[in-house]
Amino acid sequence: MTVSQSNAAPADGRGGAPILRTEGLTVRFGGLTALDNVSLAVPPGEIRAIIGPNGAGKSTLFNCVTGVLRPTAGRIVFEGEDIAGLPPHRISRKAIARSYQITNILPGATVLENVRIAVQSRHHAWNLLRHHRSYADVLDRARAVLDAVGLRADEEELAANLSHGAQRNLEIGIALATEPRLLCLDEPTAGMSVAETRATVELVRRIARNLTILIVEHDMEVVMGLAQTITVLHYGEVLAEGAPAEIQANPRVQEVYLKT
Amino acid sequence: MSSDILIGYTGMVSFGHSVFFGIGMYGAAAALLTVRPPNLWLALLYGLVAAALVAVFVAYFSTRLRDIYFAITTLVFSQIFYVIIFTWTEVTGGENGLTFRQPPLAIPGVPSAAFTPVTLHWFVLGVVTLSYLLLRRVTQSPFGMVLQSIRENEPRTRAIGYHVERYKIVAVMLSGLVAGLAGVLYAIQNKFVAPDFVFFVVSGEVVIFNVMGGMGTLVGPVAGAAFFLLLREGLSRFWTEYYLIPVGIIFTLMVIWIPQGLLGFAKRRLNQ
Ligand SMILES: Nc1ncnc2c1ncn2[C@@H]1O[C@H](COP(=O)(O)OP(=O)(O)OP(=O)(O)O)[C@@H](O)[C@H]1O
Ligand SMILES: [Mg+2]
Repeated sequence: MTVSQSNAAPADGRGGAPILRTEGLTVRFGGLTALDNVSLAVPPGEIRAIIGPNGAGKSTLFNCVTGVLRPTAGRIVFEGEDIAGLPPHRISRKAIARSYQITNILPGATVLENVRIAVQSRHHAWNLLRHHRSYADVLDRARAVLDAVGLRADEEELAANLSHGAQRNLEIGIALATEPRLLCLDEPTAGMSVAETRATVELVRRIARNLTILIVEHDMEVVMGLAQTITVLHYGEVLAEGAPAEIQANPRVQEVYLKT
Repeated sequence: MSSDILIGYTGMVSFGHSVFFGIGMYGAAAALLTVRPPNLWLALLYGLVAAALVAVFVAYFSTRLRDIYFAITTLVFSQIFYVIIFTWTEVTGGENGLTFRQPPLAIPGVPSAAFTPVTLHWFVLGVVTLSYLLLRRVTQSPFGMVLQSIRENEPRTRAIGYHVERYKIVAVMLSGLVAGLAGVLYAIQNKFVAPDFVFFVVSGEVVIFNVMGGMGTLVGPVAGAAFFLLLREGLSRFWTEYYLIPVGIIFTLMVIWIPQGLLGFAKRRLNQ
């Protein structure tokens, strides 16, 4: 269990400037307010879990951070720069990557190509005349990522033919391949077996050594085991924020979400 | 000539290849008529540069639209282009086309000689083979793999950091170049260009009716046809045979601003 930094340390992180900060982030879909004045700050190196009931606005938060949605109001500051409303490809180049709640890969391409094309977005993308497999640097990096997510043996398999659990890990691999400093994981263990979940938790813990992670998860065991800080969303608002033990003991959180 | 290798790769359908073909053709003709003595390589250069320029222009507008609307917009451009060629008689020869002399085969270092049927055949074959090999290489290049990734999953391709629109523009440009090359070769081979090769109206009008009226509304195409004919009658009074130019512009604006068509637009307005 990772309980190294157990003090609550909300908003401002521990001394150092937060790598990601939202200020008054608000998203409205017509009459529905999916995110309501959300302000949070994530210090570098942290694993931050975002939890909350279905429809609380967790994926919407990720969509804002990764440029899929333009927030109705508020700021998203990443490494000191406001990135709210930038298009997805620009945000990707700022070193923010994500995996998706619903598996989002290139089904008709091989496992290696799924990761290779993500690596390539940073290297030699505009070359028209050399064969794509002739760049050893890109291939090496792609294979290192496949090693990390445990898919090296399946590199020539079509992504569509992988098991659900393996596709979920490929999701993470594609995100990692873009060399992010902030990685947003949207329910990475959804639909996985107990053994697969355990392996993915280990994977997340391993990669967390080098980057900051935002993770949305419904499996409380996974959340309690990984997160240093938990933010609870409820109807688009921040209901509570703190260390896992505090969140578990919080009566309001228990009422709306945990109720075990 | 398989001008659609790249189109097939990005999953974009284009009606407007006749434009690029035509531009290549007329570009080559321009070089062969204005430059003395006629020069083979200059004809190639004029045709290709002209086709590439028009392709960039078309690509810029049409890559903002998806699927059917992309196809329609390219079609509209081919219409506009056709009308320009057809009516700008002093320059393009109008309906009668242009006739010119064939340039000699001039390979640097080899004494130039007039084309014989045999050398012409080998020349065309050589150029086609070369461009095929080049295109195949492009499809396997990092750039080509991005195009395939866009076809497989466009949002994901954006999310990993690719500026998808730019890749699409270059793809359209390349396919325009290939179609333009075909046009150049055609012009050199036949010593003659005419607007018929750029013509697409009949099949095109049906599609235009559909989109103007609103697809999937059944009566939409009828409304679209009525609107189109009214527009044509009204505009041709002032614009005579140039009427297709404003029709094309109105149509393009409609595709961009009210892609659901006239009926779909009316329905939404009434529901509000
Ligand atoms: N593009 C959209 N258009 C309209 N409403 C949306 C859109 N995306 C999300 N919503 C709504 O916003 C609310 C928040 O959705 P969101 O997907 O962020 O929830 P979530 O916390 O991720 O839930 P889950 O645990 O089910 O994944 C929901 O009521 C949802 O229906
Ligand atoms: Mg969600």
